[in-house]
Amino acid sequence: MTREEIVKQVNALLAEEFEVDAATFTPDANVKETLNLDSLSLVDLVALVQQTYKVKIPASDLRGIQTFDNLYDYIASHLPQA
Amino acid sequence: MRYDTLIIGGGLGGLECGYLLSRAGQRVLVLEQGRQPGGCLQSLRRQGMTFDTGFHYVGGLAEGQSLHAAFRCLGLLDLPWQRLDADGFDRVTIGDRTFPFAEGYDAFADRLAEDFPAERTALRRYADLLQRTAEGQWNALSPCPSETEMTTRMMETPAWQYLQENFRDPLLIQVLGGTSLKMELRKESLPLFAFLHGNSCFVESSWRLRGDGSLIADALVRGIRTQGGDVVCRAEVRELLERNGRLVRAVCSNGEAYEGRLFVSDIHPDQTCRMVKDSQRLRPLFRRRIHGLAQSFGMFTVSLRLAPQSLRYFNHNHYVYRRPDVWDFHLNNRPVGGVLASCRVPEDGSGFARQVDLLTPMTWESCRNWVTRRDADYEEMKRQMADECVALAGQVVPGLHEAKTVCTSTPLTWQRYTLSPEGSAYGLRKDCRAPMLTFLSPRTPIPNLFLTGQNLGLHGLHGVTMTAFRTCAEILGRETVWDMLHGNGAATH
Repeated sequence: MTREEIVKQVNALLAEEFEVDAATFTPDANVKETLNLDSLSLVDLVALVQQTYKVKIPASDLRGIQTFDNLYDYIASHLPQA
Repeated sequence: MRYDTLIIGGGLGGLECGYLLSRAGQRVLVLEQGRQPGGCLQSLRRQGMTFDTGFHYVGGLAEGQSLHAAFRCLGLLDLPWQRLDADGFDRVTIGDRTFPFAEGYDAFADRLAEDFPAERTALRRYADLLQRTAEGQWNALSPCPSETEMTTRMMETPAWQYLQENFRDPLLIQVLGGTSLKMELRKESLPLFAFLHGNSCFVESSWRLRGDGSLIADALVRGIRTQGGDVVCRAEVRELLERNGRLVRAVCSNGEAYEGRLFVSDIHPDQTCRMVKDSQRLRPLFRRRIHGLAQSFGMFTVSLRLAPQSLRYFNHNHYVYRRPDVWDFHLNNRPVGGVLASCRVPEDGSGFARQVDLLTPMTWESCRNWVTRRDADYEEMKRQMADECVALAGQVVPGLHEAKTVCTSTPLTWQRYTLSPEGSAYGLRKDCRAPMLTFLSPRTPIPNLFLTGQNLGLHGLHGVTMTAFRTCAEILGRETVWDMLHGNGAATH
């Protein structure tokens, strides 16, 4: 899966699950603020990434995921090899 | 009438929350679907005797220990507790060797070091970690919490990996897991955090009740009523109604409805979500996440009645394993490969036991054939398993072969009486590979709905009590609950 495909798919998924317009998902935008995530719905995001991509985000790594770019990069670099 | 807090489910967690909230002055109502409150603390009456369902012993009740302050706050210290043997509160038999667990961290390490002298340093290190775990267990409630990084690390570390890295003797690794039939001992998933908490307070001191676990439930119910609250049984909540993003009402199957300002659910989080049929707050993603969590395995129990003066009371727990496969036998537990024998304290002062319970893990998968129909094969399976449990425990408890089996229970029984999905004995599985997803918060997306009980954090009397305080801290504020725990303020008596 290319990074471009990941960006497209992640945006569609987040827009649907968190009911937020994907047009607001700019690469530098803050994920928590854009999706209105609190500590509970942040766990929903972690679960969604794990379910969809088999990518686990431990608590220590989650702190480093601030922007949408950070999220795309994290998924791209941790995708299980086919 | 509108209650300050409606509590759905009268298991230990629900009753403890009811007690703490009513003690803080709230008008509380606990709604229990069964005939008696208590959940896993329910007792059942057979042949003139009461038998326990889930409760067998508890740790850390002495002054200054893990559960002392919490049980004092809950009014449970006055129950007739009996301290188990200091020189071996638990005894683990693997094959033909028996290893006692001694009370106190130093004694615990030193006693095991007599059998494993090359591991003395590692045992001291392990005992030290157990002690630090016990000392830090209320940290999450503290107004100034510390060492959260260590907690996160312990949640992400598999207990099995820690033991492999810290001990060289494979038999000792089995022995250290040997008292852990009271948790789901899975190599791949059990977090070190759960393993340490499940063992540490028992090393401080271990206690049995002179009587059955319903004494605990009854004491909490009395306390709730004294403090102006109430507990209603046979009140099966069918639906929780949400209006403008907040819960307003609990509707029971008999048509009764109760209004509340806050709601605490002591039942399974997935069942709780399903009760809120229309919600602006519970997104499908949250519902799917909770629904997809795995359940821990269940238990097969045998309740035995002994002839008068046939077996001397033993003031410890005996864990007996056929082979050194403590961490694996549950995967194929036929013939039964490990069993806990728990002796009921004689209430006639005679020194002879009248009741012994035997417990062994049992998965939902092994009951699947009988979910809809309990036929003669089911009865035969239960009879055979009971015989296997008695044969194994009888290797170290002479006289057990003469005992009469009064009743047996499987995860199917457990599911029926406690509504625990898949008859799970310890609630949702805690997984070190996904701690963030499997250790749940008491908060929910609905701002006035809170969760409590064994599914959230740790299980057992100890774990559920810790969680009840956490749940109440979300409602009353951390400082208020911290003060209640330490005997300051917020009490009405």
